[in-house]
Amino acid sequence: MSIISTALRHFKEPTKEQLTEIFFSIPSLDLSVEGSSQNDEQDKMDINAVLSLGEEEDSYAGKLHIMPPYLAFSSLDKKSVRFTIPLSTIRRVERLNARAGVYALSLLTWHGMKIIVQLTSLRPTADLFCSILRDALKVELQRGQMKQVKSFAKTCYSEVLVSDCSNAADNEHEDGSLITDEKDGSIQDVSYHGGLGLKFKFPGDAKKLREASKIKLWTTYLRNHGRNLTLLRYPQCTRLVQVGLPNRLRGEMWETLSGSIYLRFSNPGYYERLLEENKGTTNTSTDDIEKDLHRSLPEYAGYQSEEGINALRRVLRAYSYKNPELGYCQAMNILTAAILIYMSEEQAFWLLEVLCGRLLPGYYAPSMHGTLLDQRVFESLVQKHLPIIHEHFQLVDVQLSVASLPWFLSLYINSMPMVFAFRIVDCFLCMGPKVLFQVGLAILKINGEQLLQIQDDGGFLNLMRDYFASLGHSAHPTSSDPRARAITVFQELLLVSFREFSVITEDLILSERRRFRGEIIHSIESFAKRGAVRNLRSLGRFNKEQVGLIYDALYKAMCIVPPPPAAAPSPSLFTTGDGHEEKPETRIGLRTFRQFLSEIASWARDEKIVMNGFQQRIDREVAEHEFIDRLFYFWDTGCHGALSFQDLVSGLDGVMFNDLMENIEWFFNLHDKNKDGFLTKDEVLTLSESFLFIFRYEIGDAYLGAVSRFMTNAFEYGDALLPQPETTFEDGSSPQIASNQPYLNLATFRMVVLADEVLESFFETDLSESFKLQPLPEMELPSAHNGILGDLWSSIATDSNKKMFNMFTDEIGKTIGKHQVVNKPSIGRYTKLEEPKARESLLTPTLRKSLSRLSLGSISAASTVATSSSSTLSVNTTLELPKTHAIVPDSASLSAMPMLQAVNAAALMERTPFAIDDARDDDDDDEDEVLDGHDDQVMDEVDAFLEAHDSGLSEADKAVANDLLHAEPLK
Amino acid sequence: MSETASGSADKSVQVKLVLLGEAAVGKSSVVLRFVSNEFQPNKEPTIGAAFLTQKCRLEDRILRYEIWDTAGQERFHSLAPMYYRNAQAAVVVYDVTKASSLEKAKSWVKELQRQANPNIVIALAGNKVDLVQPSASSPSAASHSESEDEADDATATPGETAGTAGEPESLRQVPREEAQAYATEAGLLFFETSAKTGEGIVDIFTEIAKKIPIEHILAASRGGSGRPGASGGRTDSTRQQGVNLEENATKGKDACNC
Ligand SMILES: Nc1nc2c(ncn2[C@@H]2O[C@H](COP(=O)(O)OP(=O)(O)OP(=O)(O)O)[C@@H](O)[C@H]2O)c(=O)[nH]1
Ligand SMILES: [Mg+2]
Repeated sequence: MSIISTALRHFKEPTKEQLTEIFFSIPSLDLSVEGSSQNDEQDKMDINAVLSLGEEEDSYAGKLHIMPPYLAFSSLDKKSVRFTIPLSTIRRVERLNARAGVYALSLLTWHGMKIIVQLTSLRPTADLFCSILRDALKVELQRGQMKQVKSFAKTCYSEVLVSDCSNAADNEHEDGSLITDEKDGSIQDVSYHGGLGLKFKFPGDAKKLREASKIKLWTTYLRNHGRNLTLLRYPQCTRLVQVGLPNRLRGEMWETLSGSIYLRFSNPGYYERLLEENKGTTNTSTDDIEKDLHRSLPEYAGYQSEEGINALRRVLRAYSYKNPELGYCQAMNILTAAILIYMSEEQAFWLLEVLCGRLLPGYYAPSMHGTLLDQRVFESLVQKHLPIIHEHFQLVDVQLSVASLPWFLSLYINSMPMVFAFRIVDCFLCMGPKVLFQVGLAILKINGEQLLQIQDDGGFLNLMRDYFASLGHSAHPTSSDPRARAITVFQELLLVSFREFSVITEDLILSERRRFRGEIIHSIESFAKRGAVRNLRSLGRFNKEQVGLIYDALYKAMCIVPPPPAAAPSPSLFTTGDGHEEKPETRIGLRTFRQFLSEIASWARDEKIVMNGFQQRIDREVAEHEFIDRLFYFWDTGCHGALSFQDLVSGLDGVMFNDLMENIEWFFNLHDKNKDGFLTKDEVLTLSESFLFIFRYEIGDAYLGAVSRFMTNAFEYGDALLPQPETTFEDGSSPQIASNQPYLNLATFRMVVLADEVLESFFETDLSESFKLQPLPEMELPSAHNGILGDLWSSIATDSNKKMFNMFTDEIGKTIGKHQVVNKPSIGRYTKLEEPKARESLLTPTLRKSLSRLSLGSISAASTVATSSSSTLSVNTTLELPKTHAIVPDSASLSAMPMLQAVNAAALMERTPFAIDDARDDDDDDEDEVLDGHDDQVMDEVDAFLEAHDSGLSEADKAVANDLLHAEPLK
Repeated sequence: MSETASGSADKSVQVKLVLLGEAAVGKSSVVLRFVSNEFQPNKEPTIGAAFLTQKCRLEDRILRYEIWDTAGQERFHSLAPMYYRNAQAAVVVYDVTKASSLEKAKSWVKELQRQANPNIVIALAGNKVDLVQPSASSPSAASHSESEDEADDATATPGETAGTAGEPESLRQVPREEAQAYATEAGLLFFETSAKTGEGIVDIFTEIAKKIPIEHILAASRGGSGRPGASGGRTDSTRQQGVNLEENATKGKDACNC
């Protein structure tokens, strides 16, 4: 009845290299669809460098990375200056003729911008870097990417803005609408991408938003700092983003800032092809999408028209084809509807890809683990930074997530008036996920005093709703200063977000996510478990705990042997069929089943007890035998070729509570393939083989004898009870019967079994008891370790290392003659009673050999330690020990690290709560721009976001960097 | 503020109610109809949950419903416990034109009965009955403007042709009897409703109010020191709600209009 997913178990923390790629918004390789993955062998390298650009920008020290096909730079503080540019936009690289000891390159981009980088590492390093750069550029040239740039640039609005700046700016009224005299507009081939807003208007009052001033500022910025593919981000860029992107440019800036532009650039035509290839296909996502199309920003004019609805449908569907595992999640419709106002379908598609994959990881996944994780992280940040509010919430039992979850899930679009939410989206795409946290914290802080008054979840939500409704109001309505009065509640919110919560960095978010991931996975899994148990049609005679143990065994088996996709289609791929509203359900194949059964049935595993003088352990392997396969098909009552959780529960219920007679019948039915109530002669033989399989490790030959007696008797009785046939007797001995004809019925079988004491006791209790539901040792979660120490331990405690340790001790054990391996019996009943002598004698290898030759093929003998079932248990516990040891330091490091962090954070965060900075407090305002009236206002706002930017350079360094601006290229 | 506290402790009882059910069955629409007697043909899907309040008079008692309207899509399921914890009542909604939605409703009921507050009162609501009623007998929604009805044609619900379809009953996928039988067996209140026309909506909340062990709640909230009274912010919104309620009262259907 339900989907059991082990996806969360496969989560891997990103490597350092991946983190760098994420930082620079470089598409990860598996995203690149064009088979460009052959590049992954190319060298990557980073080098210390100083970046200079013309006269008006400071030089910045930082790191230059070559990650083909991209070149990227980041200043030392990781925020002031950065860029990521495709190598194909670099048109010329020259070594500059500079002072001795200075190694500098001049890079000319497609946009004619000259970037100067001074490589400050040692000379050989710089040489190596240059040669890698040269090779990578050559590859790009060969790939023909260089040619792509021109046609791609045409799709960018920024080109229109910059190309005839005088025109573009004057072309626009102050309200942001284009003056539509087509006199020269139609001549240039303008084919830039844009959103529904171009036709259906952009939300908000363009005049109030001061669109024209913003456009002017951006035009200047883009002309001097590159644009679209070659944009260099200087502090001014971030500040301009913080005052809100102009509507016309917004879509393109979104894709540039988020890095989705690189995906669009490197995958031309992909979006259209994807739609074409999947035309007419439907899946559960398409149904869900259809339901929500008319429910996405319905008040926006564009979504009251077919045009808007169709665009929305195509983008959402395309994404669900691209990522069927994620498919479609409510909230994605709102997000997509929002970005489509500013972006073309293709742009929106790639931005959605970046949102769902990198920026909001796991938010919309079927388990929504990312959402839950970030809620947990947010809660811990509130606890750290707003401890009084957190305490109050605890006291009155208010859950932060009831309000904050939709904030994060819909990027505030669902909570705030759109114009404001879009400005948060601007910042989010520019500065990353931390923005969501910063804004969230600022909201709580600003409302701190009222929050301390609330008594329940409802009051909390009402307060938030009222606050969001007031975002457009003045923050200081009674102030005598008109400039202070002009500041809106929303502006104040952003100021508090970025000023007071600048300690919330991307790195902090990443480490907090690492800290809580295990906890979240655990709670999702136990929730899923409860659901799966609850949704069973029948528990049989099991209680909930027992069914839970069955679930655990199943879950573990699925982690070790993931069911093949055919047996368990991913939920979103599963078509709900024609009218049959069959719910998708997880089913396991034979291989997973074997693993599962080995957890539960003692005979379904081969257990070797290994003693080497240092340790005693059980090496466990999954047994393979026809008997197990038979059981699989026996339990597959619906003939799916795969078993569901329910099948397993019912199957186990059918054997674990049986008494003698029921067990005999069960065993009989298991071997009666055509269910006609008779075993054929062949089936009698396979049944005997099943016995031998189950008894393969029993000590002594009591069972062996029993099985051979069984066979003799079965055939004797079988023959005797055959209806005296008309067939001719050939040599008078027994009636001839084909091996596949009905031969032995249940009654006869029962008689034969009951004639033998050993078999009787097997069916009486041993069979049922060979199935045991035991709590499994907690599986290790994906590493929840923190810092270097955590990594260290996790790498020691891996399975393969444990194996190596085991092998090592085995070797030593062998050399000192203490190495000993015995098979653990599955039933172990007669070991003590019947075979004391045999057991001792078995210790000599020669005897063992001869004995096993005696035993019919598969019966091999075993001995010593595990003689009774009670001692088996004790062996088990001692054997767990080495493993537990390996994990102990783990948990120690786990608990120690957060403590340390908490201490650090407390030290950082000493400040009086709820003191809201006066928004006019521009003490670090060091920029004097001369602008006309309108622009002045915007600049006021821009200045509010001024922060001290550290170029990381000494005065002398700056002089060198300045000199380079005028240096000549080397001959 | 102290006045509010004593006032509410005497007269009004807070009842936390949660709405559950498959996506797009009309949970939010049911709440909207109950709280402000409106219907919006294209309601945005609920993200996480929405929160609304409405008062409801029962004899001499005033119930103050605190309504949690949850998101319906399956993947939001794991969030639901956050909303149904401590709930005294639940309305589980399905869509009479969609058989699978009843299955989902059943699994919600099961979950509530096992995981939620043991005394929880659960009502099952088969919504969108207007779609399966011949247009003649459908109670015309006096409160609707023309434009709303027009816009209706644009809803995603297939086959809806403004009640002119020859056999509207053919849209029905869940027979009333079947759902009724299930509800009886599971011990649920049962209604067929239409958020669009308003049919059956108020009744759900009235019947729940009757079934709720009010004395029990009162005793509990008196005993618990946790919630002495409403905050400033909430008093405000309560007053707003009050206005709405009086509007409702003039339409007076039965006891539940406040
Ligand atoms: N004809 C008709 N349509 C309805 C009725 N109730 C809701 N709808 C429509 O069904 C769609 C979904 O309604 P919602 O109230 O948003 O559904 P929901 O259950 O809250 O959905 P989620 O929030 O996604 O879980 C909307 O387009 C409503 O206009 C009804 O009684 N009759
Ligand atoms: Mg809803």
